[in-house]
Amino acid sequence: MSTGVVKPNGGPSTLGATGARAPAYRWRRFLHLLSRYGTLAGLAIMMVVFSIAAPKSFPTMSNAINILNQSALTALIAGGLTMALVVGEFDLSIGYAASLAGVLVTGLIVRQGLSIWLAILVVLGVGAVIGAVNGALVTKARVNAVIATLGIGTILIGISFGYTSGAPITEGVPEAFPRLSLGKLLGLPNPIWIMAGVLALLWVVLNRTDLGQRIQAVGGNPEAARLAGIPVDRVKIIAFVTTGVCAALTGILLASLLGSGTASAADSYLLDAFAAAFLGSATLRNGEFHILGTLIGVIIINTGFNGLSIFGADTFYQYVFKGGILVLAVALSTVARRYSQA
Amino acid sequence: MPSAEPRAPLVRVSGLAKQFAGARALEGIDLELRTGEVHGLVGANGAGKSTLIRCMAGLVTPDSGTIEVDGRKVIISAPRDATELGLAFIHQELNLVPHFDSVANMLLGRAKSTRLGLIDWRRTRRPALVVAERLGIEFPLDRRVDELSVAQRWMVSIGRALVGNARMIAMDEPTASLSDTESRRLFEVVRDLARSRVAVLYVSHRLDEVLELSDSISVLRDGRLTRRLTRGELNKSGLVREIVGRDLAAAEQSTVSAAVPGQTPPVLEVHRLRRGVVENVSFELRRGEVLGLGGLVGAGRTEVARLLCGADRPEAGTIRLDGVGVCFSTAADAVGHGIGLVPEERRSQGLILNRSVAFNINIADQRPLRYLPWLPLLHAGRARARAVELTERLGIKTSSVDQPVSALSGGNQQKVLIARWLTRERKVLVLDEPSRGVDIGARAEIHRIIRDLARGGTGVIAISSDAEELVALCDRVVVMAEGRVTGELEGANLTEEAVIALSYAHRRTDRSVAT
Repeated sequence: MSTGVVKPNGGPSTLGATGARAPAYRWRRFLHLLSRYGTLAGLAIMMVVFSIAAPKSFPTMSNAINILNQSALTALIAGGLTMALVVGEFDLSIGYAASLAGVLVTGLIVRQGLSIWLAILVVLGVGAVIGAVNGALVTKARVNAVIATLGIGTILIGISFGYTSGAPITEGVPEAFPRLSLGKLLGLPNPIWIMAGVLALLWVVLNRTDLGQRIQAVGGNPEAARLAGIPVDRVKIIAFVTTGVCAALTGILLASLLGSGTASAADSYLLDAFAAAFLGSATLRNGEFHILGTLIGVIIINTGFNGLSIFGADTFYQYVFKGGILVLAVALSTVARRYSQA
Repeated sequence: MPSAEPRAPLVRVSGLAKQFAGARALEGIDLELRTGEVHGLVGANGAGKSTLIRCMAGLVTPDSGTIEVDGRKVIISAPRDATELGLAFIHQELNLVPHFDSVANMLLGRAKSTRLGLIDWRRTRRPALVVAERLGIEFPLDRRVDELSVAQRWMVSIGRALVGNARMIAMDEPTASLSDTESRRLFEVVRDLARSRVAVLYVSHRLDEVLELSDSISVLRDGRLTRRLTRGELNKSGLVREIVGRDLAAAEQSTVSAAVPGQTPPVLEVHRLRRGVVENVSFELRRGEVLGLGGLVGAGRTEVARLLCGADRPEAGTIRLDGVGVCFSTAADAVGHGIGLVPEERRSQGLILNRSVAFNINIADQRPLRYLPWLPLLHAGRARARAVELTERLGIKTSSVDQPVSALSGGNQQKVLIARWLTRERKVLVLDEPSRGVDIGARAEIHRIIRDLARGGTGVIAISSDAEELVALCDRVVVMAEGRVTGELEGANLTEEAVIALSYAHRRTDRSVAT
């Protein structure tokens, strides 16, 4: 990988020629390549297999758009999660935050009579507050992120159920609301545009702004970032806020898609988002979380789902697939980090 | 005389050698420890004391040489082996479990179980209680160790060694953070241990106590054992001479009490700074000057650096920057005022290892890289160009600025950290051990860069444990010992010997160094 003048100490490049080390080196090299390009190869293999097995239904333009459309919401929430992961933290509240956003946005429209746009704005604000609370707990109160966000997430479940009293909000949802996610622009469904726009924005923020560089620095080495003059706590809180806003947006779009606000509707996005982000971290980079990788991870997962449903697989296979891919993704990501120097 | 006793020594180390990355850490070490003996081990920073201890403890595998216990050759490849042989090691960090009580800590890993497989606390606790009595421990044994004082934790650590039937206990800088009274109490315990036929390997920078306690003393210098001395053979100045390897005649009148104020006004004034070990530290730094901060490990230099850079807040004292009093609550604050730190631990505190060289250089100040001053959008080309310019200027050897910084050598990594602070306006740059783990060539280059920086108007503070480096690099050196400034050296007075002598000038015995 490195063609530098300076070789990493003990680097295999100096030992590659000696017989005894060669197999071990080749194995490392293989793991390194697997961890960088394995996910992409897996996606390609999946596409080829599905195309051969279902030539009429899988490799079509409309199915491709379908996969992207199904990926859109997961990609939004996973893109937001990526921000928390890049800064070196965890957010387990995203699924519950999205669910709450769904019931809240419909509730505000139906019960409080807010206009659609105002309701959306308010709910995005709620997402930001949830993120800020998570961030404050993790940085100021120094609660472990897993515990803090799990606790907050559980509180959010409670609020969702309390707000809806257990029954979905379906009556009186204006027609314009479902149109948000069912409408099309230039032949592509709106969610795809929104996904593209938000992910592009997140990519730019992460890679082309002061803030993004600081987020990456804090995630890479918080102590070094602090001594370099970066306000670590503030940067972490901002990352959590971004995660919260993305989760809220996902919940709003899901409610629009369903035409109702249902408590716990978006809960299952949590695992999808984590699986996607970890698959993404094992894609092209050495176990680092990044937006493009997360998008690829989401597409892999949804291509898999799509294939399963084309073949009419039972629902339980979906769970097996989802669980399996999460574990595989984390394992690949770990391998990627370990063999990053190969 | 060693031959007087027919029995084999408890521990005999012969011909021990160890290299790290081609650099000699230890060579041809012969060391003998007898039952019931207190053996002092002294040497300057980097002389090899800790490597020797680590070899004996099974934490480092020596390249060659043997270790014998009771005359039998043994191989210690893990700490467990050492424990089984009855060798106990108490490191400065003490390695106790903070939220366990004293008894649980002493018994760690030795629980005896009942027939049901549960821990039989009564049977398990007994040996700890016996040991506590033997050591005369007076504090409550059921208190969590993180609520104990450092001195009490030392007692617990010694107790732990004794519960494990240790026949030799190595103690690394036991009195480093103890008060005088606490130290006295520890000495009593050490003598008692010796009387009960436990050998003690006593490692300390404090020569007075080593002289007071030890039956024999081994001196390490540059990885070799220069001398083994028996009780009464030495006084302190002789010992210092042995440690330095040269005569200290020159050092004796070298202390300059106060520096003559220079032409330029000071950029940084530190007055009676205090926190933790740091006691009433005062000095001035002039613009364009390289000021060295010398002393032994643990003298409080890094702590002073942390206070200057906003990592810690002083308990008392003032810091004035360009004549204006400042008080930093965060590192970001200090950086904003133009004080940068190149930290001691390059990899854990300085670098963002999985990122590129360019990323690591640019991270401290991104503002100039924006498309427009008010638009927080970074110009990738400008960022790269700045990194390229700095790598060329500092001679950082890398195939490309996009290479991960982890692939660079230590010297080049250090230059990356210096380059980081060249991206922004700065008044003061503090470098903690700037050439640690860096080869000689890179070291010379880093020194040149530091001096260029100073010539450019930055006030530079260089912290180093290496007297040679301080003399080569600095215009002026402030030496610290035990948290206090023991002297200031400049011009003809600035010699290696003087720096080392002042490093050992402990407050209790200031006199004995000078005479």
